[in-house]
Amino acid sequence: MKIVLFISQLILFIGLAPLLSGLITRIKNNIRMRKGQSVFQPYYNLAKFFSKGEVVSDTASWIFRVTPFVVFSSSLAAALFIPVFIFSSPALHIGDFLVLIFIFALGRFFLALAALDTGSAFGGMGSSREMFISSLVEPALCLAIFSLSLEFGSTDITAFSGMHPVSVSSFAASATLFLVTLAETSRVPVDNQETHLELTMVHEAMVLEYSGRSLAIIEAASYIKQMVLFFLIAQVIFPIGLPAISGPVQSALWVLWYLIRIIIIAAAVALVEVTVAKMRLFRVADFLGFAFILGVIAVVCAVLGV
Amino acid sequence: MREVILFGVLITTYLMVIAKRVPALIRSFRYQSFFIFLATLFTGFAEKQVDLCFIALLILLLKVLIIPRVLSQVAKKISVDQGLGLFVNAQLSLLVAFILTYLSWIFSGALGFSRDYRLAAITVAFSVILIGAFLMVSRMKAFTQVTGLLVMENGVFLFASFVSGGMPFFVEIAIFLDVFVSVIIMGLFVYRINKLFTHIDVNKLSRLKG
Amino acid sequence: MKVFYFLYGLWVLMMDIPGKQFFLFDPLSLFFLFVICVISLPSAVYSIGYFSPKGNPPAAEDSHYPPAKIILAWFLLFVFVLSMALVVTTNNVLAFLVFWEIMSLVSYFLVVFDTKHEKSINAGMIYIVMTHIGTAFLTAAFLIMYRYSGSFDYLAIKNACQTMPLGTKNTVFLLLLTGFGTKAGVVPLHIWLPYAHPQAPSHISSIMSGVMIKTAIYGIIRFVIFILGVNSSWWGVLILILAVISCLVGVIYALMEHDIKRLLAYHSVENIGIILLGVGLAMFFISLKLPYLAVFSLIAGLYHLINHAIFKGLLFLCAGSVYKATGTRDMEKLGGLIKKMPQTAVYFLLGAMAISALPPLNGFVSEWLTLQAFFLGALNVTGGVKLFLGICAAMLALTSGLAAACFVKAFGITFLAQPRSHYAKDAKEVSLSMKAGMFFLSFLTVIFGLAAVRIVKLLAKVAGAAAGLDISKMNFSVNNFTLSPQTGKGIYLSMPLLGLILVLLGLSGFMIYKLFSRRKAVIYKTWDCGYYKTGPRNEYTATAFSKPFRIAFSFFLLPYRRTQKVRESFYHVKSFTYETHTTKVFKKYIYDPMLALVFKTAKSMRRIQPGSIHLYLGYIFVTVLLLIIFMRNF
Repeated sequence: MKIVLFISQLILFIGLAPLLSGLITRIKNNIRMRKGQSVFQPYYNLAKFFSKGEVVSDTASWIFRVTPFVVFSSSLAAALFIPVFIFSSPALHIGDFLVLIFIFALGRFFLALAALDTGSAFGGMGSSREMFISSLVEPALCLAIFSLSLEFGSTDITAFSGMHPVSVSSFAASATLFLVTLAETSRVPVDNQETHLELTMVHEAMVLEYSGRSLAIIEAASYIKQMVLFFLIAQVIFPIGLPAISGPVQSALWVLWYLIRIIIIAAAVALVEVTVAKMRLFRVADFLGFAFILGVIAVVCAVLGV
Repeated sequence: MREVILFGVLITTYLMVIAKRVPALIRSFRYQSFFIFLATLFTGFAEKQVDLCFIALLILLLKVLIIPRVLSQVAKKISVDQGLGLFVNAQLSLLVAFILTYLSWIFSGALGFSRDYRLAAITVAFSVILIGAFLMVSRMKAFTQVTGLLVMENGVFLFASFVSGGMPFFVEIAIFLDVFVSVIIMGLFVYRINKLFTHIDVNKLSRLKG
Repeated sequence: MKVFYFLYGLWVLMMDIPGKQFFLFDPLSLFFLFVICVISLPSAVYSIGYFSPKGNPPAAEDSHYPPAKIILAWFLLFVFVLSMALVVTTNNVLAFLVFWEIMSLVSYFLVVFDTKHEKSINAGMIYIVMTHIGTAFLTAAFLIMYRYSGSFDYLAIKNACQTMPLGTKNTVFLLLLTGFGTKAGVVPLHIWLPYAHPQAPSHISSIMSGVMIKTAIYGIIRFVIFILGVNSSWWGVLILILAVISCLVGVIYALMEHDIKRLLAYHSVENIGIILLGVGLAMFFISLKLPYLAVFSLIAGLYHLINHAIFKGLLFLCAGSVYKATGTRDMEKLGGLIKKMPQTAVYFLLGAMAISALPPLNGFVSEWLTLQAFFLGALNVTGGVKLFLGICAAMLALTSGLAAACFVKAFGITFLAQPRSHYAKDAKEVSLSMKAGMFFLSFLTVIFGLAAVRIVKLLAKVAGAAAGLDISKMNFSVNNFTLSPQTGKGIYLSMPLLGLILVLLGLSGFMIYKLFSRRKAVIYKTWDCGYYKTGPRNEYTATAFSKPFRIAFSFFLLPYRRTQKVRESFYHVKSFTYETHTTKVFKKYIYDPMLALVFKTAKSMRRIQPGSIHLYLGYIFVTVLLLIIFMRNF
């Protein structure tokens, strides 16, 4: 029974991930006073990619072929950590939240390699920039988790997912996580998902050579990753515990509440994307430095107990 | 008798200090070695040690006969100016030698020996060593460096034979061989230096540095 | 195996020495002995292929080794490994110093083994000077210890150190830290490491980076934690600060490097930093009387130590294979090797993933443990120390991010895309013995990742023995495949499960892919924006890859460029050269002024050395006289 619930939770999570992306695009468009695309556009895109043929560069090696699956695997593995309506504990003692950082690193590592594999200058550029940004993201992310661990007494997933009071520290930590998420999900001040301009693109430059089914898998993986990161922020800033009795009503309520939180975060991201200008690559270092400082503030607050 | 021999060693050492020419230096060294030989022989008889007598004979053979002979041959062969090239003139050198003897007397006192012939022996031996070193420092020609080393060796030997009744036999023999070989080598060196630079003036060999 | 027989024979001999036991086989020594053997054996196997003239590129005819030199290499390797084994097993400070010195000297000969290169001589020079400075510090520390114990025996010194005054203890600690830090390559004493390690033949580089610098860690654990005993908390803090600096400096310099072996050497500086984070943290917790955390941190450090030995050994062997097959170590001239040398590429990829701390390989486990040690530690201390530990942990995270970037560069530029020069174009896969050496180590990277629980249990014994703490009541695992530093706190890591899940999910992705595969993928040229002749010249280079980092860290790297234009006329530039370099800060601002000072002093000292033999004799004479006078007054 638990396994069934767990798998259905995973499928729900994966299934909703593209919707989130569509939602953000839709909100952005609406803020810009445009009608905008359907919120289901990411699903259409995925379906289109799956039905299209695939072109593989003749300079590419097996790294290029394998990467989509590694990226997919890393994103899905991260999704396993996230409770939507059930937290199945004993079977899934994979690790704590620290493991999450490393699992994301695995997918990113291969994506960057695949970008170099085709021998295109775009790929190299994207790969270099992505590794640059992600390496600067790590200390901020680590500090955010550190301050949370100070607050909850452990880096455990259940501790994160439980009900806890919102303090200044967790507020600062969630702000850090928010900035980190903007960078990790290639959102505007850092990257821009909407253009393919060689001066600005980072993530898109890396996956430029992918097409068809491989591209679909990579896109799906990045949707899932975005969902995981959003959950993290949501749980820190709008904490809510899993219902003690996992009856259908409580679970349904919890899923609803879960969705509302995610939508709020999505709206915030969309707002930032519309109002803030894209930064030059080397300003990103300052941006993430700011995130780092916020992380330090979070730790200081946690030490002071506020 | 011991005192007489010691006095002879000291006098010959002073003779070396005031020597201005190579033959005089070598001659004085021969006399000094002869006194050392006497001293060793005397100790050998007094303490009834065959070893020491044998060593005394070796001294006679090597230091009195062969080494001075080799040295004077080299001196003859290079046949340059026979002067030693004194940095410090003879009178002043003698004064320095007296001071060194006094210093060694103080030193011997500091070592804490009883005031018998041993004290005198150590004083003499030590002053011979110091004067040998002084000779090496204050004379220009490479000959004096060789002779100075030999004088120092004599001093060390005297020290050993009077203070401790001689070193172990094998050590003694080994030292003799060493000294002998070193004299031969240094003689050759002096010869070579002369051939190469047409002089044996150590003072002028000042470019041999890092 | 020879090593073992010889060791055994020597052991039997030494045991016969009456009265004194010459060897100490406690868990710590055995652990290091294991590390030495586990790296040396594959490296020795590897060297068979490495030295054989077969498989050299036609361009590098002169790199054949004559048979006499190969025999010499085997002899030196043998002595080298033996001396390291003795260093970690001896029970006597004097013997330790002697073996330490033998190890340094033999490794010096191995660094200058390829004396054809001018660089080797220079590297050897820097190495021998630095290592002797280190040994001088060690000697000083040991002499002070000897003054208190009157014996060279470890246990006697350990007992004597209990009564040592605190000031002396601090001095001894600082001397030991400097001495061992020089050998370990702790910043700012690291400058010899990136020169010396790459110059040695590759299997020696792998032993030097994998094992030799670890003997310094052994020294720190043995002499500081085990013998001296930690009771000031600033010792641990000092080591933590140095370790963080080492991590960052090592990885940032590695990013700038495009000589593949030197890049790896800089990573050794970084990884020594990570190891020292564990060790320093352990010292810190020992001084705070937190035994559980101390043992846990030491486990993390030791785990990273053996992991680093494995993957760095592996990476150096792979780099050696690349060098052997192509004749160059310059990454800018390589590329596309994954098609020419598929097996080496896989091994290098595994090593790169391990060093970048990617699950489910071994580097990940130890970095997770180290981070966890920081997190747990922060829960058990109070006040500002929490912040300090948090920032250290963040710097470790930054380091691992930068390391991942660096190895994307190293693997991507060397093995992927198209060959950038004829060196890479003509490469062939290396011989069987070399592959065997690499295979063994890459196998270990996986095993040491998946078997984390067993290893942590074993390491707990080592750490407990080293720190002199009772571990029987400490629990490091929930069950046999889940690792949990504090049971009930919900912090766990199950490597087999994680590996299984990653593989299963990857396979499910592959199945989805296959499900929709109605058409076969078309092989076509890389998209070239309509430019008609894309080729290797369009590829990203290692220098270009690291440019964002060069600019972001310009405050430390101080990059500068040299440009030179050759003009035919005002309008026509015939050629244009552009070079970019980074300033080696430590060399320029610490070592160069120091060297200048030494030379200046030496120059003024030269005045007392005018070349006059009489004067020299006079010095001796005057010294003797002064001594006599001194004696009189005494």
